[in-house]
Amino acid sequence: MKKVININFQGRVIPIEESAYDVLKQYIESLRRYFANEEGRDEIINDIEGRIGELFGEVLKKGSTCVTDDDVNAVIASMGRPEDFDDDEAKVQSQLGANTSSSTGSGSQSSSSTSGSSNSDHTHAPHGRFYRDENHKVVAGVCAGIANYFNIDPLVVRILFVIFAFGFGFGFITYLVLWVAVPSTASTVIGSAKKRLFRDPDNKLIAGVCSGLSQYFGVNVWIPRILFLIPFISIVFRWHNWGAFDFPNFLSFSFSPGTLLVYIILWLIFPEAQTTAEKLEMKGERVDLNSIKNTIQQDMGGFKERAEKFGKEVHEKAQEFGKDFGSRTKQFGSEAGTIARRGGSGVGYVIGLMVKIFVYFVLGCVLFAIVVGLFSAGIALTGLLPLKTYLINDGWQNIFAWGTLLLFIWVPVVGIITWIIRRVAKMRSNARTIRFAFVSLWLLGLFCFVGLIASVRQDFRYHNDIAEQQIELQNPSVNKLTLQSERERWYYSHNFLHFEPFARVDDDTVFVNNFRLRVLKSADNNFHVIVAKMADGSSKKEANETASKINYSITQKDSTLTLDKGIKITPSDKFRNQVVYITIQVPVGKRIEIGNNIGWYDHFDINFGWDNDWRYREDFFDGATNWESNVEYRMKNDGHLERVDGRRDNDERTDEDNSNSKPETQPSTGTQSDTTGTYHYKTPGSAPAKQAPPAKNPVKNKKDSLPAKQAKAEVRFTLPTAFIERFSI
Amino acid sequence: MRKGVLEFCILSIIRQGEVYPSDIVEKMRSANLHTLEGTLYPLLTRLKNAGLLTYRWVESNSGPPRKYFVMTESGLEFYGELERTWNELADAVKALTAPQQENKTTE
Repeated sequence: MKKVININFQGRVIPIEESAYDVLKQYIESLRRYFANEEGRDEIINDIEGRIGELFGEVLKKGSTCVTDDDVNAVIASMGRPEDFDDDEAKVQSQLGANTSSSTGSGSQSSSSTSGSSNSDHTHAPHGRFYRDENHKVVAGVCAGIANYFNIDPLVVRILFVIFAFGFGFGFITYLVLWVAVPSTASTVIGSAKKRLFRDPDNKLIAGVCSGLSQYFGVNVWIPRILFLIPFISIVFRWHNWGAFDFPNFLSFSFSPGTLLVYIILWLIFPEAQTTAEKLEMKGERVDLNSIKNTIQQDMGGFKERAEKFGKEVHEKAQEFGKDFGSRTKQFGSEAGTIARRGGSGVGYVIGLMVKIFVYFVLGCVLFAIVVGLFSAGIALTGLLPLKTYLINDGWQNIFAWGTLLLFIWVPVVGIITWIIRRVAKMRSNARTIRFAFVSLWLLGLFCFVGLIASVRQDFRYHNDIAEQQIELQNPSVNKLTLQSERERWYYSHNFLHFEPFARVDDDTVFVNNFRLRVLKSADNNFHVIVAKMADGSSKKEANETASKINYSITQKDSTLTLDKGIKITPSDKFRNQVVYITIQVPVGKRIEIGNNIGWYDHFDINFGWDNDWRYREDFFDGATNWESNVEYRMKNDGHLERVDGRRDNDERTDEDNSNSKPETQPSTGTQSDTTGTYHYKTPGSAPAKQAPPAKNPVKNKKDSLPAKQAKAEVRFTLPTAFIERFSI
Repeated sequence: MRKGVLEFCILSIIRQGEVYPSDIVEKMRSANLHTLEGTLYPLLTRLKNAGLLTYRWVESNSGPPRKYFVMTESGLEFYGELERTWNELADAVKALTAPQQENKTTE
């Protein structure tokens, strides 16, 4: 406990410990003695006292309530003792040396740097390269560094930057890039009191990242913490459908996984301030014996309070700042400078901090997207594991498949998780080895992946020869055919993956509903059903074999055709792109109805085709149409179907005049189609057994008499209006 | 000798623009020329008394008002002389040390 007295020093009232005052008094006396014969002695001493007063002022602002012995000693050491003056020997200054760019002094220096301080070409970076000048910085010294390099006034550079940033937008990004990429001069100065970014282990919540940041920027520790949490939740909301995969929705409502990744990255990047010297560097204090001693001994309580108070003020000011940039900057700069514990504008620091975090966040999000993508791919593929047997041959392929799954997909995920855990638990052992192991495993997985792709492609290379089978119908001349599919005994299994061809897995078989259904015009007056089976294989022979093993049945009952809904695939005959093409030829004038359990969502692709020079495998989707179930359609002359009840089907395509543009239809079996003209349409209620009468009127007439209908040329169907003309002759 | 060099350096710094003493010390430090403030102040005062420098007071809100030193006409002349002296010295030293190195390489 020491007595504190107030002294009037250079016009200011300074509280100082009594013992410290004694030391100070002695020092000044010694100065007086030394300069006793000097001309201008009084002035010199006045200057020195002035300087001491400044230093005391800094000490007090730093948070001390009074000047202590140690402060005075530090100041004296900084100024130098009389016996040290005029020493010819270039004193190699130890850390205890006269270091006036100390922490206590840097505040006053930097806050005046915004005035036109001289451009220093002596602070050439050692190699004459472009460095950031941290000693003259407002935010990060980028502009000052540029100014140094080109020997122009930093203010000019700053103005240019502001113009670029706000006029063109990209200046901002440029500044960020420069900030991150360009090293700062102060780091090249030995023993300078430059602040370095450390993690603060004494003040940490999780890993001290935020505390380290707060120390570096001189803000309250909660500011970076809040910044980490709040602003990014909304960004994550907006970004919740990144990339090709669905960002799991639940994550977008949680607290910002993106920043979590940023946090982790910063955690890894920042070293931890372990030694006291590092801790001092983190706070930007001069690293010498005194300050080290102070740090260890001193209670940092008052320090913290001041930092918190400062933090609040900076926070408020930062908000105002956001509205009004230009004129307020200087004002804030000077005001903030007075309360800044360490040099520079607190407002600038906050901005810099936010910007830095944003950049890291962007990086973090990209990395995170990769991680999540791999993870979900891993889950998806593992979930599909049971299906593997249907696709993959044993032997090499199997090995490749396993290799791919485990090494290519899961190894990175496991690796990253391990890495994170290791960082959390601060295990540092064998980092190199582990990393190397993971990377090499992953490369092996990559190799497996490539091998897998190659060998699977091999299996699918050949297509079989297509053979069409005609299914005999019992009553081909019936007037209406109804299509049904088997009663539902299928259901989709875990189809959130929307894995297309698979409908159901059932013990040892898989049912695939790769069907294509075409409805064409029949050449004669009978219904025909033609089935073509297709498959792939590693050779033509194998493809043919596989195709012939496709077991697809169509059963007929009265005038109802029941189609199988799935192709069965067993582990012995693998999935090889088996498709069944069913062509139903409907005679003109006859009707066809599609039952409602062959819905389009069941992956039946139904093509009411009109172009018969259609090739298997290639043209199919051209014709996929909209149609409704449980509705009767009638075949027209031109091969299109129209709805019997006369309503339009939903069709977004523009209408064309079909009858003019479409060629006459040709069934793929090669039989000739009727090219004759008119056909007559039956009303639903009329007697069924009418045959399509021979053409009586030329086509032209027909066209004339059906202007309304033809005028609405459609691509798919005739889209009749409610007043469809049905006439019979 | 160092004292003369010190003055030369200080004058060079001030020549580039007005500075105040702490700034001078800082600049010298970053150029790896460490000096004490206590050395600097008397020196500045002497130079000022010799009419080579002049100063003006600048109010500062973080302490007492500061002196900003600027160069005078005579200061510039004196600086020129110093520079010449320095260059002569440097040339002389270079001339003396260089031949020795050449001898070494030929051996």
